[in-house]
Amino acid sequence: MTTPSATSLSRRTLFRGAGAALVAGGLGACAPGSTTGSSPLPSASTTKPPSGEITIWDRTGDLYKVFDKAIASFTAKYPQVKVNHVAVDINAKLPATLISGAGVPDGAFYDDALLTGVAPHLHDLSQLIEQYKPDIAPYKLGVVTVDGKVVAVPWDLDPGLLFYREDIVTRAGVDPASLTTYDALLDAARTVREKSPNAKPIHLENDQFLAQLWIDMFANQQGAGMVGADGKLTIDSDPYRNVLTWLDKVRSEGLGTLAKYTQPTDLQTQDNGTQVFVPWAQWFVFAPQQLLKASKGKWRATALPAWQAGGARAGVMGGSSFVIPAKAKNPELAWRLYEHLVFSKEGYTTVYGQNDVYPGGLNTSIPSYLPALDPNTPLFKPIEALGGQDLWKVAVEAGKQVPSGYTIPTWWGKAVDYFGVNVQKLLAGQMTPDQVLTTSATQIQKNLMGPS
Amino acid sequence: MATLTEATATRRSAHRVRRRRVKAAPYLFVAPFVLVFAAFSAYPIFFALQLSFTDWHGAGALKITGLANYRYLLTSPDFWQSMATSGALWLLVVPAQVMLALTIAVALRKARFRGLFSAALIAPFVTPLVAMAQVWIILFDQDFGAVNHGLSSIGLPTIGWLTTSAWAKVTVALLVLWRTTGYAVILLMAGLSTIPADVYEAARIDGAGAWQQFWSITVPLVTRTLSFVVVIGTLTVFQLFAEPYVVTGGGPFNATRTAGLYLYKHITNSDLGLGAANSMLLVVMVLALSLASIRLLRSREDS
Repeated sequence: MTTPSATSLSRRTLFRGAGAALVAGGLGACAPGSTTGSSPLPSASTTKPPSGEITIWDRTGDLYKVFDKAIASFTAKYPQVKVNHVAVDINAKLPATLISGAGVPDGAFYDDALLTGVAPHLHDLSQLIEQYKPDIAPYKLGVVTVDGKVVAVPWDLDPGLLFYREDIVTRAGVDPASLTTYDALLDAARTVREKSPNAKPIHLENDQFLAQLWIDMFANQQGAGMVGADGKLTIDSDPYRNVLTWLDKVRSEGLGTLAKYTQPTDLQTQDNGTQVFVPWAQWFVFAPQQLLKASKGKWRATALPAWQAGGARAGVMGGSSFVIPAKAKNPELAWRLYEHLVFSKEGYTTVYGQNDVYPGGLNTSIPSYLPALDPNTPLFKPIEALGGQDLWKVAVEAGKQVPSGYTIPTWWGKAVDYFGVNVQKLLAGQMTPDQVLTTSATQIQKNLMGPS
Repeated sequence: MATLTEATATRRSAHRVRRRRVKAAPYLFVAPFVLVFAAFSAYPIFFALQLSFTDWHGAGALKITGLANYRYLLTSPDFWQSMATSGALWLLVVPAQVMLALTIAVALRKARFRGLFSAALIAPFVTPLVAMAQVWIILFDQDFGAVNHGLSSIGLPTIGWLTTSAWAKVTVALLVLWRTTGYAVILLMAGLSTIPADVYEAARIDGAGAWQQFWSITVPLVTRTLSFVVVIGTLTVFQLFAEPYVVTGGGPFNATRTAGLYLYKHITNSDLGLGAANSMLLVVMVLALSLASIRLLRSREDS
């Protein structure tokens, strides 16, 4: 006989049961305390051929197709490995996935500029990278090292170059070889405008994120960054003041076209000759190849001008690496894939070699692995959209000059709300260079670096 | 006697079991909903509430920081700017949406091809937002957009639709209006269809004109639907994320960084404690605004 006390289903019992079911259901998996932080990834066994299944995330678009082909070269070499290659909006999806711990990939492509923000969720690759350290561009090794730990497999180097409209510059009588300093570039812009009154020759970036990245390239060129080696804020300094003062001059003299990278205004003004000079990362070359029509074949690239005569003519803008999340199911296998893509000749020649998107090879960046940077052994062909110019030589030369010692602070991405926005205000004529620097420094110090 | 007692006891026992089964049945029927609700609504809400008192960044143990996140937000100009932006967008979107939707719904009440018009109106709502936003960017480009081309062709000055603080809000508001008004029209058409025809007939016999019928019959009798449209509009605007994210990226100068976009920033920055506190404040504000809107419309209905 069943007793009432054993059978009645009270509300309390029901809720208690539901709660237990929820906990047993694994909601605790996303609870705090379950992430170990930047855990070291041990050396993978080199004797045993790799096997298993991994999920790899790459950025949607051209690079997904490029890596798809390169991953095929890995699976051809190791047929026991299955790679689920997925195209996602990584910048939007990866941080949330790393935090939730659900559906975490084994490896992902990620922007260097945002790397420090997710570093606690990544494997420490220091032991694995150790053997390759002397062969990695010093700048790149610096940006993938967070708190002394290498948290990403360094992939590409994106040296800044000066892109210019060869036809317009020649017509105006400007010798591209004379563009050795930013003052010379300003003079060239004035000369171009005399010949073409509608020209606003120099590109001024209006996207707050890209503007910050762009200005950091100019600062990096002068050996500076937002923070010094000691982690202290160095934004209110001469290198940044030089850059902002120059940009303000371009704006106030009406020598610049304010536009967002590859937005309609940007493309139209590049095609119709309003924009003539674009100091930008190597990946600007994507536009003449894929987006511009009338001006295709009329663009050329040269080294960036220097901030002072004889100064460095290279800086870096952007770049990406490969991360292996701490919660990856098969991190060793992901490492083997990235080791193949980055540090083996077969891998990097496949990545940078011919593919459907880039028939002459991937030419929007160069490897950060120094043995691949031989000026006489180009990984991609001369570019028709640049009038057949050998961009490889120009980019490799610039890449080797990039100053090292650049540190990306953990709050770099968050600083866009302050510095990036204030730069937008400068370019709209609403702030002076000094106001941008002092205001940004105060805001960053208070909101991002203050006591937490 | 003993047999009778046993039979009675057996009957009572069976009756008791049946009663117990009947008692348990309602709980079992609602159990699936309760479980889903607990897992996907109640647990996240309580977890977010807990997080809002911590400085958790997604890794490691929770460190309780008391009201620090709330204090930071309530004294942060960025937070208030995002709220002000959402407030401005609410003013630009919700009243215009209600008026537009009501006008179109009334106009379509007796129109031929209502089904066709309804399908056309709902089309923007079901069109992928990213595609629509790209069209918006091209249409409203300052130098090469069709809108400014149209303005200059009739002698009006061009406008920095996406590059000036004030007009960027208008551009985003126009996109939201374009996308969501059709849905509001469908809701109001459903509301209008519940008004009996004889009410209008009686009003006509009493000599009421079209305008009087609209104000004295239509508006009061669809007040509940209007309240719903206002609440949905309020929720849409205060959670607005995708439109400014794609069209303006929150710019220029953070002028279109809505409350939803500001909240998203905390997540991408791994400031989860701050994000949770922000969402709690947002819930309170949206609730207050929705209740105030409903009360305002209900008081009109009562009067």
